[in-house]
Amino acid sequence: MASLTTGLEESQPEGKSVRMLTRRSRTGNQSLVYVILIIGAVLALVPFFWMISTSLMTLGETINRKWLPAAPQVANYIQAWNEAKFARYFWNSVIITAVTLVGLLTTSILAGYAFGRINFKGRNAIFAILLSTMMIPETITWLPNLMLVRGTIIPLPGGSWLNSLQALAVPFMANAFSIFLLKQFFAQIPHELWDAAQIDGANHFRFLTQICLPISKAPIMTVLLFGFIGSWNAFAWPLLVTTRETWRPLMVGLWTFVSEAGPETHLLMAGAVITLIPILVIYFLTQKQFTQGIATTGLKG
Amino acid sequence: MAPTFKVTSIAKKRKAFSLRALQENLTGYAFVAPAVIIILIFGLFPIVYSLYMSLFNWRIRKGDFTGLINYTKIFGDWGGFAIFMGGLGLLGLAYWLWTRASKSNSNPMRALQIGAAVVLIVAGTIMSMGWGKMVAAGDEDFLNSLIITIFYAVGTVPLQLAIGMVFAYLLYQKIRGKEAFRMIYFLPYVTPVVTTAVVFRTIFSSRETSLANIILSWFNAGPLKWLFEPRAMSEVFLGLKLEGIAAGPSLALGTIILFGIWSFFGYNTVIFLAGLGGIPKELYEAAEIDGANGWNAFKNVTIPLLSPVSFYLFLVSFIGTFKAFNHLYVMATPNAQNTVVTASVQIFDVFYAQNNFGYAASQSIVLFLIILGLTVAQNKILGERVFYG
Repeated sequence: MASLTTGLEESQPEGKSVRMLTRRSRTGNQSLVYVILIIGAVLALVPFFWMISTSLMTLGETINRKWLPAAPQVANYIQAWNEAKFARYFWNSVIITAVTLVGLLTTSILAGYAFGRINFKGRNAIFAILLSTMMIPETITWLPNLMLVRGTIIPLPGGSWLNSLQALAVPFMANAFSIFLLKQFFAQIPHELWDAAQIDGANHFRFLTQICLPISKAPIMTVLLFGFIGSWNAFAWPLLVTTRETWRPLMVGLWTFVSEAGPETHLLMAGAVITLIPILVIYFLTQKQFTQGIATTGLKG
Repeated sequence: MAPTFKVTSIAKKRKAFSLRALQENLTGYAFVAPAVIIILIFGLFPIVYSLYMSLFNWRIRKGDFTGLINYTKIFGDWGGFAIFMGGLGLLGLAYWLWTRASKSNSNPMRALQIGAAVVLIVAGTIMSMGWGKMVAAGDEDFLNSLIITIFYAVGTVPLQLAIGMVFAYLLYQKIRGKEAFRMIYFLPYVTPVVTTAVVFRTIFSSRETSLANIILSWFNAGPLKWLFEPRAMSEVFLGLKLEGIAAGPSLALGTIILFGIWSFFGYNTVIFLAGLGGIPKELYEAAEIDGANGWNAFKNVTIPLLSPVSFYLFLVSFIGTFKAFNHLYVMATPNAQNTVVTASVQIFDVFYAQNNFGYAASQSIVLFLIILGLTVAQNKILGERVFYG
């Protein structure tokens, strides 16, 4: 029981009677605390339970609204994967996300390093302009960017970029948030290290790749995580630039399935679970870094 | 050894100063170039281009230059617009009076506060007058979508903050499974909106056998149409017959608000948890010695000391709802009609479904200016507050 009380007793050894009293009332409160926390957890999880349970039902069971399938229909997943083309959408999403992340990491590491450690003219002004873009609503960017990738504003190499990997990946290959995060970290690296590196004849690029990067795993991980979530969950922009299946990512695929599936709720839910699996795996593996990243930056939202 | 190295390196630096500076500059530009180019093209250029497009009659192809006609179409009555903006200015004045009043501790304080309240009422009246004129002559769909956006913001933000704060406070106690609870609460925030929306659409469908209606039947309540219900909640639940804005949000929007709260409360929990870590333990000890129970400590220590965090979250979330698109777009059903169409969705519709590019551009410029105004106000208000965390 002692482990359940707060750390209050450590600092006031003489207040024993008070402590006993509060501890008793605390155990009463404690069960109430657990009840509320568990209700919250149930409410947070019910939709996931509903999704997984429905995805394993037969069509008849979804119509009669059973809570659990009589026998789990794993075949639903195979059907969604093959016939509803979720396999194609899945690999599209994997490739789009991977390409986006490579680009995002490259641009933000270079820019974060330059803003944090190189004294060039106009540095602060350029940085301020980049930061101001965080305030711009995505809504305003869609129409001009759509026209841009269609090639109507300026001619593009290869004509229109509609239904291409470039259109899906390039706009997300840089953002002010990632640059800001890495800049903060790089700027803290002691100057003595740079002085020493210079004596060894290193330039900025070598210093960055050989000294800075190996010690920057944590912020890079945060950038990767946010980038992954952003790219994997992206919806509106991919919806605009994919008119065919060639590069259609999972989210758009799932959305088009909503209208095409009609009453086939079990297949729809199987598809929904498929979109979720990579996110869940990564979230459970990195969840500590994840919530810490959010708490310390507090910027994403 | 190290100091001598330093001296030589400084000497070297001086010698090759200009060359060095040039090299530094060039390296800097080369390093930032990829990011800057992408952000300029896909982030900043669209604003300039939207501004340009908004001045034309631009369907799919560019048409005639029409000046401000697109904006006139939105606001209808420039006189009404001016009255509305005047009211907004008064609102700023009321805020200024109020902060002045809370800074001084003397008698004039009360007078200032009363003054602020009066100005507030006048501002509200003037704004609604101007708004009425605008709606009568302007684009009712777009102006209404702004009201829907405000409904959505007012519906989601305070509740998700309150829930987030309560869960953060409970999790901050010494309890078992803290990490597991936090992980579960945060789960809705990281899962893709489209995925969870697909589930919510079946849970809150209008069918009698949908999960939401099954739960209602446990309480002997009749089934509701949820996402498919365009009638206002005041009408569905209370039987009131109100018109227009006064009726409040529809049940369909109410359901989307639930979805929004479900998605975001965990995010707020995590931020509040970080804020709680900044509250000194001694304050709780003092409260306990004074005989405060858990609720009293929460009310008198936690809430006041978390107020800077709450305030920050409130403003950021409020602005966030003006930018929100996915949550509303994927939850909108045709039956709910325009009662769930927020500004972002409306703009998307005008260029994507109606192909009215120039007009959509002018609407997005208006939305941008609103968000800009909110951001400036946010920075100003936050700048004046003290931060504890």
